[in-house]
Amino acid sequence: MRTRSTTLVLTVAMALGLSACAGSAAQKNGAASADGMIAQLTFPSEADAAVGGLVNYNPNSPKPLTGTWLYEPLIVRNSLTCEETPWLAEKATWEGGEKLTLDIRQGVKWSDGTPFTAKDVAFTFNLMKQYPAFDKAGVWNDTFGAPATSVTAEGNKVVFVFSGNAAPKYDGIISTKMLPEHVYSKVGDPTKYVDKAPVSTGPFKVASYNGRQLVLERRADYWQADKIKVQKLVLEGQYDAAQAALKLRSGQLDAYFGEIPNPKKTFVDSDPKNNHFYYAPNGMTVLTGNDEKPPFSDAKFREAISYAMNKEEMSLKATYGVMKPASQTGLKLPSMESLLPEEYAGKDTVVPFDVAKANQLLDAAGYKKGADGKRTNPDGSPLAVNFSVQAGWIDYQAIADVVVKGLNDAGVDAKVTASAPDSIDGQKKTGDFQLLLEYLHGGCELAKNLGDKLSSKRIPTKTDIFPNVQRFKDPAVDAAVSQLAAQTDKEAQKKYLAPLVETMMTEYPVTSLIYAPARILYRTDKAVGWPSEEDPYANPQDDKLLWMTHLTAPK
Amino acid sequence: MTYVARKFGFFIATLWAVVTLNFLIPRLQPGDPAEIMVKRLAGKDAALDPAQVKAMRAMLGAPDGSLWNQYVTYLGELVHGNFGLSYTYYPYSVTEVIGQAFWWTVVLVVFTQVVSFVVGVVLGAYAAWRRNSRLDSVVTLGSTFLGTLQPFWIGLLLLYVFGYTVGWFPTSGGYEEATPGFNWPFIQEAVSHSFLPALALLIVTPIGWILGMRNTMIMNLGEDYIRLAKAKGLPDRHVALKYAARNALLPSVTGFALALGGVLGGAILVETVFDYPGLGRLMGEAVENKDYPLLQTLMLLTTAGVLVANLAADLLYGVLDPRARRAEG
Repeated sequence: MRTRSTTLVLTVAMALGLSACAGSAAQKNGAASADGMIAQLTFPSEADAAVGGLVNYNPNSPKPLTGTWLYEPLIVRNSLTCEETPWLAEKATWEGGEKLTLDIRQGVKWSDGTPFTAKDVAFTFNLMKQYPAFDKAGVWNDTFGAPATSVTAEGNKVVFVFSGNAAPKYDGIISTKMLPEHVYSKVGDPTKYVDKAPVSTGPFKVASYNGRQLVLERRADYWQADKIKVQKLVLEGQYDAAQAALKLRSGQLDAYFGEIPNPKKTFVDSDPKNNHFYYAPNGMTVLTGNDEKPPFSDAKFREAISYAMNKEEMSLKATYGVMKPASQTGLKLPSMESLLPEEYAGKDTVVPFDVAKANQLLDAAGYKKGADGKRTNPDGSPLAVNFSVQAGWIDYQAIADVVVKGLNDAGVDAKVTASAPDSIDGQKKTGDFQLLLEYLHGGCELAKNLGDKLSSKRIPTKTDIFPNVQRFKDPAVDAAVSQLAAQTDKEAQKKYLAPLVETMMTEYPVTSLIYAPARILYRTDKAVGWPSEEDPYANPQDDKLLWMTHLTAPK
Repeated sequence: MTYVARKFGFFIATLWAVVTLNFLIPRLQPGDPAEIMVKRLAGKDAALDPAQVKAMRAMLGAPDGSLWNQYVTYLGELVHGNFGLSYTYYPYSVTEVIGQAFWWTVVLVVFTQVVSFVVGVVLGAYAAWRRNSRLDSVVTLGSTFLGTLQPFWIGLLLLYVFGYTVGWFPTSGGYEEATPGFNWPFIQEAVSHSFLPALALLIVTPIGWILGMRNTMIMNLGEDYIRLAKAKGLPDRHVALKYAARNALLPSVTGFALALGGVLGGAILVETVFDYPGLGRLMGEAVENKDYPLLQTLMLLTTAGVLVANLAADLLYGVLDPRARRAEG
């Protein structure tokens, strides 16, 4: 995703782009061949780098030329449906939350012909022990549960032993990219290693790179080569929304994963047969009050204002109606419906927009309306809310306007202060804010996402932004979160999730607004089988490897 | 001698101030480089994964110790010419990163500066000599009007017309498919990609020289020695070029040294508009990513460039105009 600090340039370019005709270079990519193969697909560059000539494929560097198509993870878990697709590991088995056994796939070859084995897996994780800077999954430290004590290869299995419950590390472990022992054991500090000739297990290998355009070539000896139909993959160019829309419409790009506002009008309408988009709900935008300070320290107040939120209008203004109003449960629905506690199953858990009810609840909670139509705190002191919004984040600013209108309609005096995103991060750390907008990730590791959002052990510190930005504290919730973190089985997870959902629905630690997307815009003239709303088999943004195995040439 | 010594002393003191500010300013901004790196991988508003932030902090190894300790270390590294590793392009060193962008900017900006200078000085001198002629009004009024525009804004217009609407020129980057190096396809692509950015700069940069040259030249034309030269019956052309223009050129020459010193800063906005792979865009990127080592080195290059040029201009002025030396010495 591109940052938006070049707002000015982007906005003007967008205005230009919309009115300009896409009459530039003609489509030069090949069409489909007879055997279902796809000659070439073009995606935007993955490294949003101004300087092109610096080659590095090390998947753990901050900016590899591609972090997707070369090195592969152990298991791909679709964060939308939480379904797992075995990748380099065929199976993962937990014994309690303290021991994890991975069955490693046999018959996989590194791109230099060396067989891939369980030893490579154990090597990769033990490298993280030696070089903590490399430990992005937090295997060897105490983020998300207890640290590991050993990771060993036993035949075709790899066994992780932890010093306590480590179930929440699962996502991090299975998504770690596997490295070849016969290369990376000789390079010293792997974070400082410039990997110019990647030896990887992935479906593609590097054909050429000229500093701007990375050409990847299909590997005939890939372990599931029968599923890869794309012969050549070109990664090229860093585009803003307007440029990307132009390139997509003209067929110079086959897919784009960044934000294009109003994708229907900008892209789909120009060729509804071939142009499609899928903005999958990946999490939600939530309204976060500071629960330590009045008025947001009062759960009744938080509940009341939740009814003043016009989510339909937010959806319309911020996402052109693409993203739907979000469930107050904090879960992505309907994809996580099966995790809902009984009492909420099948019910509408989106808080309705009802200003009259908001007013009524505020009256009942003692926030009296003065002669000027503005409410005061129950103790009679004036009530004013300062709402901090990230300057330049157009969607957040659009949502903020609707929030403030709702608050004002409920008699709560509120104003928006736009600040640099970095200084809002600062406010999250110090707690020096009243109200702001945030993203609540809807990943499958619920203890890590919804759980940490509500746990008083995960309140931000001076140096780190932990998820509980609203600073909500409830010992019963903390207990449920630590129970939830220890579960590796779905039914048990559901049991300990129930108190969290209940808290969201009755205490309103944060107010859910609208879902936030994982995006893809794609063309079906050269390839079909992309994930879509009808068939959400993969997270379009995060599970690229998975959908690559589904792409075929159109009939 | 004292003149030279004083100029050098001034140079050293300013350089120290610049180095210190250079160290302080990036650190006064809010934001944490490790968090920004993780966010860039995960999405702008994504929940930060603490394990990843921890790993990233361990990787970048920064910033630790008190501000004073960091400052002392920073000065020590500078003296040894060690600018550190870029955060954004980790583990590449800042020197390598800048080396990639350096020539793009140098070629673009030096070319436009030289052309602007020549065009500006000639037009300015001519306008002054034929002042109140039609050409003079066109040049002077036109300059005053165009001078209020910003190159990046002109760049956006050019991009819209010649890039998107007519489609004559590419809209971003420095080249497409060629392999960078001294080969014909690459040079062709580089030239076509540099054309619009150069044009955007060329429309505005000569204006300073035109107005400056015209003003000094008009002042010079009122001097006694010009009247004397005319009285002696020297040809107009001779008076204009050899007497007036030559003297009026003095301040412009020193100004030109300064302009060249500023080259290293690049034309940040113009480069950003055209997505041109030079130092200016690199600086923008460094600011965005809180890439302290890269940002510091770029700012140091820019300011040191201006300072060195300033010193050179001062020394040159001393040589060219003995009055400067005498008045102060």
